[in-house]
Amino acid sequence: MTFDFWTLGFQAVNVLVLVWLLHRFFWKPVSAMITTRQATAASMLEEAGVKRSEAEAALAEAANKLAALAAEREAMLATARTDSDATRDTLLSAAQAEVETLRDTAKAARVLAAGTLKANAMDEAQGLALTIAGKLMARLDGPATDAAFLNWLVKGLGALTDVERTALAGVELEVVSAANQDSTAQDRIAKAIADALGASAALTFRSDPALIAGHEIHSAHFSLRNSWRADLDRIAAALAKKGDLSDAG
Amino acid sequence: MDSPLQSVPLFILGPDWLRVPIMASVVVTWAIMAVLVLGAALLTRRLSQVPSRAQAAAELLVATVDQQIRDVTGAAPAPYRAFVGTLFLFILIANWSSLIPGVTPPTATMETPAALAAIVFLSIIWFGIRGGGVGGFLRGFARPNPVMIPLNILESVTRSFSMFVRLFGNVMSGVFVIAIVGSLAALLVPIPLMALDLLTGAVQAYIFAVLSMVFITSAVEKGKPQTDPKIEET
Repeated sequence: MTFDFWTLGFQAVNVLVLVWLLHRFFWKPVSAMITTRQATAASMLEEAGVKRSEAEAALAEAANKLAALAAEREAMLATARTDSDATRDTLLSAAQAEVETLRDTAKAARVLAAGTLKANAMDEAQGLALTIAGKLMARLDGPATDAAFLNWLVKGLGALTDVERTALAGVELEVVSAANQDSTAQDRIAKAIADALGASAALTFRSDPALIAGHEIHSAHFSLRNSWRADLDRIAAALAKKGDLSDAG
Repeated sequence: MDSPLQSVPLFILGPDWLRVPIMASVVVTWAIMAVLVLGAALLTRRLSQVPSRAQAAAELLVATVDQQIRDVTGAAPAPYRAFVGTLFLFILIANWSSLIPGVTPPTATMETPAALAAIVFLSIIWFGIRGGGVGGFLRGFARPNPVMIPLNILESVTRSFSMFVRLFGNVMSGVFVIAIVGSLAALLVPIPLMALDLLTGAVQAYIFAVLSMVFITSAVEKGKPQTDPKIEET
């Protein structure tokens, strides 16, 4: 067994030198790099935290803006809905009013046209009736027809009250006939009227072919229509009244 | 076979009146030093924030050493990192150098473990004085009471001596057993023993470094002024 103190010293110095060299070239730079990386990581983490906070704040702000936009959108939609409803109501009211106006106008025009047509038809019918009556009258016996109408005139006067007949006897009466009456015929008519009134009346005679046939008595306040024309007028009035009732129904 | 307790010089330096023998363990130590220093210099030449694999491994080693120091001392690892870490690295590489054919680990000779133990013994004194001053360090021998002073002084020597003997005995025995088996059996037979020697070498390096740290910490803690437990309780 040997123990060399030179070797002991060499090895001790070697180890101490190695400690210094590795401290210089290994432990110090590597630990410095670790420290640097830890500092960098901490800085990055802190920066990331700050950025995260900023991002969260931005997110919250964006959410608020989004909520505000949503509220504004809802308000605008509500306003637009209200406006559209009002516009729609206005347009509907105007359209309804226009429709009512058009319908009233059309109805009035239709009524007017119907009335015009009806009046025209009545006029034509009346004219046709007059023509037919005139042609029929031309084929009848004139004196007999006159006698019949005179008889109906007397009956009409007879249907009056005594007061009315007395009043008629005191006024001037105009006798209108369909054809000219000669003196004989006028005397016969005067006599028949006087008999019906119970007194002689002041008579004037006039002819009107429009009567077609018959005799009528007119005064300032009295008319006794006794002719075919009067009959046709009464028929036309009755038909017009019936037509009005049918339209109303 | 040469005795493991016998150191044979490779060559002699100096004049005849001095005659400095250079043992193989010294040369191997120089080689280990060269490898470690050059490797460290190359590795740390281009350190970057984004580490390479080698840099990551180096940082893992540093971080592990730091964590071990923190676990043992509870203090910041910077003052002890270079010393304890270098002890661990040197002993580990020296122990594993037995894998190279023809190389005897420096730790398998008595001088190298003795030098390491002596350095640890001196470092305990150095860190103890630096932590609590000369007075604090010397008062540490009187704890828990002055009667323990001789025993504490003896213990400070024997624990370093035990580290020397433990490291030398384990490594030397491993190398010796492998050499005996290799000389008796086939070439592949010693391989399991060499693998076991690798484990033993790593464990011994770890034990030596941790014990160094424990003893240094003990000296530093003993050198600090102690508070009265009764006062602490109140």
